[in-house]
Amino acid sequence: MANERTGSLSGLTETEAKEFHGIFVTSFIIFTVIAIVAHFLVWQWRPWL
Amino acid sequence: MWRVWLLFDPRRALIALFTFLFVLALVIHFILLSTDRFNWLGGHSGPSATPQHMSMLPDQAKP
Repeated sequence: MANERTGSLSGLTETEAKEFHGIFVTSFIIFTVIAIVAHFLVWQWRPWL
Repeated sequence: MWRVWLLFDPRRALIALFTFLFVLALVIHFILLSTDRFNWLGGHSGPSATPQHMSMLPDQAKP
């Protein structure tokens, strides 16, 4: 187990990296959806092209 | 793709990402506020984007 933890540069195990990646991807999708909605509303207000 | 978290420490990556996004958002919002068309607080010109007559003084050209 010690070799597994010290094997990566960040210190994370593969399981921890996969778990964090799931949270990261979910958060990124939520952020992107909010950004798309905000851009749609601003385009309705005053289109910029 | 999840292997990036074996290379980059998630804590430092998140701090860097949030800092970058915050500064970028701040820059974009201030740029928009500095324009006439997209200033949502004091903008007087609508979609036409033509400059309005803003002078408080009476027109000096006419006698």
